[in-house]
Amino acid sequence: MKNARVIYENGNHKWIAIVRDPERPAYLIDTNEYLVISGDEAILLDPGGSEIFPAVFSALSTQFDPRKVGQIFASHQDPDIISSLSLWLEFNPAIKCHVSWLWANFVPHFGGTPDNYLALPDGGAEIVVGGRRLVAIPAHYLHSSGNFHLYDPQAKILYSGDVGAALLPPGEDGLFVEDFDRHIRHAEAFHRRWMGSERAKRDWCYRVGQLDIELLCPQHGAIYRGQDVRRFIDWFAHLEIGLLKL
Amino acid sequence: MSAQQGRDSGRELRRIVRINEEIKHVVATAAKINLMAMNAIFLAKRAGHSALGFGVLSNELRRFALDLQGQMVRLREATHGSVATVTVFLKRTRQNRIFGRIIRQASTPARAHVEAFLLERQEKGLGREREQLAALERRLTQMIADTAQLVEMGSVLARSAKIEAAYGGAHAAALMQVSSDFERTIGEIRHSLEALIKQQDDGS
Repeated sequence: MKNARVIYENGNHKWIAIVRDPERPAYLIDTNEYLVISGDEAILLDPGGSEIFPAVFSALSTQFDPRKVGQIFASHQDPDIISSLSLWLEFNPAIKCHVSWLWANFVPHFGGTPDNYLALPDGGAEIVVGGRRLVAIPAHYLHSSGNFHLYDPQAKILYSGDVGAALLPPGEDGLFVEDFDRHIRHAEAFHRRWMGSERAKRDWCYRVGQLDIELLCPQHGAIYRGQDVRRFIDWFAHLEIGLLKL
Repeated sequence: MSAQQGRDSGRELRRIVRINEEIKHVVATAAKINLMAMNAIFLAKRAGHSALGFGVLSNELRRFALDLQGQMVRLREATHGSVATVTVFLKRTRQNRIFGRIIRQASTPARAHVEAFLLERQEKGLGREREQLAALERRLTQMIADTAQLVEMGSVLARSAKIEAAYGGAHAAALMQVSSDFERTIGEIRHSLEALIKQQDDGS
């Protein structure tokens, strides 16, 4: 089973990171799922692939009643992001899934009916959870052509999908980045290959650089906090991407 | 597996969630008993010789709280095992729905292939998975029964503490208050456990 760790808590407003399953088979990439709780409601960010559904579901249940998860945010369309959706919908057919309009006709191949989908426009949108406003931030071409991140202005947390991701070796897989220079080596190859647009990257770095962020939470690897958030944005801004040398 | 069985799998998952929510409640209450018992031990020490019996019972109640917490951890692990098994059923339901559409739409040879495949799969896998789920259910039922016994023991300890409190001399009122709190809190656990047993009965 995965671990459910509280990474932010202020009254009835919480962020839970669902991470690091010791029983995960090595052929499945490790993923982080996040649950944003506001009062009696919650949104699950990138719930993961169908293979890890039991591990995510069980871990989430230790911290929150899964019957109250009413919304799902899919940063993009990849199987490790959203292929468990059909299982969540078997459990609760009323769940609404926010996804880029670009993928709104693709993701239903995983399951659900039109009633389950809320298409996000390219410019982004506000998502309300328990009266609290979260913001879907455009991150197109990073890496998917219809891609969003989710910003919580009160918690000052940015869920950054594949941006900031690192493939960590065993023994260096702590929840938070502790040594930025050592950590970023595990992120470099991933970003060079997966991030395809230099222009989109510069635009993202500029826009996200304006936000007040305490925690930058990627879908793979460790969470950046404090000064490491700015260090990551600067590092990414200067990284050459979209190149494959054969 | 039919659509009905698919709906049953979704319902089964929701039932497991309800059990898990009760478990969380019992864990929180057991932690409260642990703290109450520690306070009761200090109180008994302050009361001295007249509260010796009460002190012994407070120690036992603390051990009971720890045993109960351990038991609930094992119970929670068992429910997590059930989630994994039910997930297999949910996936099969979805796959079978899709194969069912082939049977309705496809020409005769394709239909025959799919029917043969589904039959073979059912014979190979489904029986084993059902047995696995049934075994988990039996284990869960047994663990809930064991927990009920443990809680019964806790109730007896709380009642005995109330009797001992009467011999507490000058501290009798304070000891009586603490033992009444024990009794009420263990009553809450019994209530949760009854809900757990009901959930389990609904599933069987």
